[in-house]
Amino acid sequence: MTGIAQKLASNQKQVAISEFFEKNKHFLGFDSLARSLITAVKEAVDNALDACEEARILPTIRIQVTKVDAQKDIIRMVVEDNGPGIPQKSIEKVFGQLLFGSRFHAIRQSRGQQGIGITGVVMYCQLTTGRTTHVRSKIATEPTAAFVDIGLDTRKNKATKANAGREIWYNEDGTGKEHGTEVTAEMKAKYQKGRQSVWQYLRMTSIVNPHAEIIFTDPDGEKHHWTRVTERLPTKVESIKPHPHGIELGQLQRMVAESNDLNVNHFLLNNFSGVTNRARKELCEAAEIAGTRKIKTVKGDDIRALLEAFQGERLFNGLPVKLLKPPTNCLSPIEELLIKKGLSKTIDSRFVSTLTRVPSVTQGNPFQIEVGLIFGGAMAGDKPVEILRFANRVPLMYQQGGCLLTKAIESVDWRQYGLDQAGGRGVPKGPAAILVHLASTNVQFTSEAKEALADNAEVMEEGRKAMLEVGRGLRKHLEKKKKMAKTKEKFELINDILPAIAKKSAEILDRPVPELSGSITKIMSAVISETTTEWNKQTKQTDVEIVLFNYTSRVRAYTILATWPEKSGAVMENNETGGRKEALGVWAWKLESLQPGEKKTIAYSLGGLERGDWTETEVLFRGTQDVIGATKMDEKFLLEIRRQEQILIESGVDSPQDEAEPEAEEKKVSKEPVEENVEPAVAPPEGQRTLFGGEV
Amino acid sequence: MSRTRTAEETKTAMHIVVAEMYDRIVKGEPPTMTLPVRTKTNIGFDKKLGVYKYGKKQSVRDATSLGSAKQLLRTLHVVEFIEEMLDAGKSSTLREMYYISEGWGMGKFGSQNDSNNLAEDLEIVTKCLREDFKLRPEEDGARMIGNLTLRERNRRGEWMRINARDDVGDSGYGVPYNVELEKIELLEHDIDFIMAIETGGMFDRLIENGFDEEYRCGLLHLKGQPARSTRRIMKRMSEEWDLPVVVFLDGDPWSFRIFASIAYGAIKTAHISEYLATPSATYLGITADDIVAYELPSDELSKKDVEALNAELTDPRFADSWWQEQINMMLELGMKAEQQSLAKYGLDFVTETYLPEKLAELGLA
Repeated sequence: MTGIAQKLASNQKQVAISEFFEKNKHFLGFDSLARSLITAVKEAVDNALDACEEARILPTIRIQVTKVDAQKDIIRMVVEDNGPGIPQKSIEKVFGQLLFGSRFHAIRQSRGQQGIGITGVVMYCQLTTGRTTHVRSKIATEPTAAFVDIGLDTRKNKATKANAGREIWYNEDGTGKEHGTEVTAEMKAKYQKGRQSVWQYLRMTSIVNPHAEIIFTDPDGEKHHWTRVTERLPTKVESIKPHPHGIELGQLQRMVAESNDLNVNHFLLNNFSGVTNRARKELCEAAEIAGTRKIKTVKGDDIRALLEAFQGERLFNGLPVKLLKPPTNCLSPIEELLIKKGLSKTIDSRFVSTLTRVPSVTQGNPFQIEVGLIFGGAMAGDKPVEILRFANRVPLMYQQGGCLLTKAIESVDWRQYGLDQAGGRGVPKGPAAILVHLASTNVQFTSEAKEALADNAEVMEEGRKAMLEVGRGLRKHLEKKKKMAKTKEKFELINDILPAIAKKSAEILDRPVPELSGSITKIMSAVISETTTEWNKQTKQTDVEIVLFNYTSRVRAYTILATWPEKSGAVMENNETGGRKEALGVWAWKLESLQPGEKKTIAYSLGGLERGDWTETEVLFRGTQDVIGATKMDEKFLLEIRRQEQILIESGVDSPQDEAEPEAEEKKVSKEPVEENVEPAVAPPEGQRTLFGGEV
Repeated sequence: MSRTRTAEETKTAMHIVVAEMYDRIVKGEPPTMTLPVRTKTNIGFDKKLGVYKYGKKQSVRDATSLGSAKQLLRTLHVVEFIEEMLDAGKSSTLREMYYISEGWGMGKFGSQNDSNNLAEDLEIVTKCLREDFKLRPEEDGARMIGNLTLRERNRRGEWMRINARDDVGDSGYGVPYNVELEKIELLEHDIDFIMAIETGGMFDRLIENGFDEEYRCGLLHLKGQPARSTRRIMKRMSEEWDLPVVVFLDGDPWSFRIFASIAYGAIKTAHISEYLATPSATYLGITADDIVAYELPSDELSKKDVEALNAELTDPRFADSWWQEQINMMLELGMKAEQQSLAKYGLDFVTETYLPEKLAELGLA
């Protein structure tokens, strides 16, 4: 990203924009006629989603692609949103200025890290068809919409406008449009179907934007409608300052040059995340630069020294300077439940398992991995699974093989989880699709084409761990299905067949129908659980019922545990059996005694969820006799949940401003790698001695 | 000599099976049905009867799995169905019963094989015959040609006198499925022995060559593994007319099995071996020796053939030294031969040379 930004922002060489575009169109996303159309749609849709998100509007986006001239491959694209609209005077800035959007400086997760924005589309249209791009936009406070044709003066790198005016904007149904933007562009392009198509891009976009409604009319006039499955907008992300671990020399040079700070101390404290007062002092010492030095006097070698101190190449007291981790509230994961909904609405299936890992940091950049696995249904069983890759909610559609996210999938032996995979390597086969989403403030691509993520050990490891977990989910689901089939058979036996045998034999012998309970106990000789998870239309709650039958001749005792979506904000209600919280998202009930032939029911409702959020409850047990229909508690599973929970709690109090010297001191003394973000909420006064007597 | 049971006797025998299930439920146990193990590990030679019968090994079918429970329920439906037929004086084929089971809900059969096996199970545990149950087989009876006369009661209930040489066409007399006394009476004959033949081709060859008249014998086409009625009529002719029975089959492991079922009793029907088996029957050929002695065109044994031969080595019915020798010889040769391979020496070789030589060994020619 910075590469292009620099190239373009540089005033040293006056390159004609058209020439630049021509030379670089392969990484601007306009290298083939088919891809150009996808890129154009992508830029327009990304803008619409971003604008709606910022204005907290649930997006409804209509995309229409029509063939204007099939022989000359001229295609018209119309993208209309219900976003806040753009004030008339800003339209030319948004559409006509290359690369100067604010998001190129802010460090946060944003869609616009890819491509060169909608301006690239305006330019492409102009270069290939000579046509301007028609924009119509209305903001809520004005009665009419503004319209204008935008072109580009490629020599001056400036927007040209023509035919500007105002009009009343009517919706299809004749009502007046309240707010929104519509872009109409004609370009040389080709419409294709399949894996790399506008359709696929929109389908993938819809999966990771379950809050959006997307309506696509293809050149054949066929309408594809992806509905909105949640009213919840993505959380608003904060921008953060760069973290010293993620800074490159050029960037540091620029920051120093552009700085208005008084001195080095202020520069370090004001412009970086993770730099505490202590770290500031230590960085200066390590770089051998006085903190009070005027920033204007910091040049060449000093900047290099500072960078070396950042990167731990220059030491303080023989150790790299400890920095806080960057905050992670700049990330906006899609979150497990919404991925589940997004996948379920798009792909017909039997089972979905999703996972959002807790945020992590690589090279000073916070990132977070999310994975979804969808299985069964109408998907083909003998083909490689469909891989759905996303970076910051943007679909990645090309270069699948070279992408880190694909490699993370390939690194897992899927055979143990119930998918086919030759030799336990490579993309697995089976009726499944795997979604991987990387949310990060700085997505590293293999090339400027921005279609494949570059190798990174930490991201890879997080991805792998997430895969293993959803894989386990799939295996459990398959095992459960098998067990349920067995249980169903047993129930058929005692509920249908046995009574029929009793009745028929009694009839033939002309004797009374015998009592069955004794035979039933002997036949089942097991404790059986049946679980139902159902949406209750009346109460708008998800009702869960766990029934246990003791079909053995002894009294049994168990702790029954059930999973529930606590992390996603669900509330447990009407839980009359009581019990207690075992861990995040795991509730436990103690059943002291279950008499032979006895049946006990645990019932509760989950509030705060939408329909389809929670459809399968996993039931576990602690106890000696096996429970058919439930899984024996694996204590390791609990440990992992508790660990993740701990990280979540800790990251909640994490704040870079809080000085945490004793903790840091303690770490230095013990020389042990301790999690950076375990910080006391209030910083102790300076000069306080630590428990270990270390000098602060 | 008929062992036919009355309707009441049959019902009583079936009620014992039903009562086993009922009583187990009353006792608070899963219902069961006890029946002998029906494999070669559980057949033994009955010295008194001269045939192989089921031994003492019992297996218990209990309702702890869905499959077995369904089988018990089906058994009850079959019992009920048989009682209805007994009361109404009707009969049905096994295939008809299979289709009737469509109306038995959870007790319906999964396949025709299921219903055949269940009928056999019931025979075994009740010691009744399927004729007692009014169940008829689908299987094809044999064809017979020769100077022998019998009386068959036709479907109008009239007795017809039939000579199996003069009163039949080229296809011979068709043996009906029921050959018990109420249906067939053996009247008289002018033959010296009965020859059972495996293939239709060979049966027709012998007829064309006039072998039955020249050698004063009755010819019987087995049609592969012989049906119950085929075995039963052989048994009756052998006993009632005191005639020797020789068996002329292909020279392969499967023919050995056919012979064993004729002479010693089949594993599947070991409960009624004494009614079906003809212990005096003799294996005429093709033997393993014949393949060598007559230099017969032969085929290599397949993997399945070898497996079958090895299984026969441990089958109690082949325990005698002559059979052990023949089986081992065939294994060593690695070859098998068909009856019709005798045609290598011309169409008349079988009737002019091979059979006379083989029969002479037995003193029949």
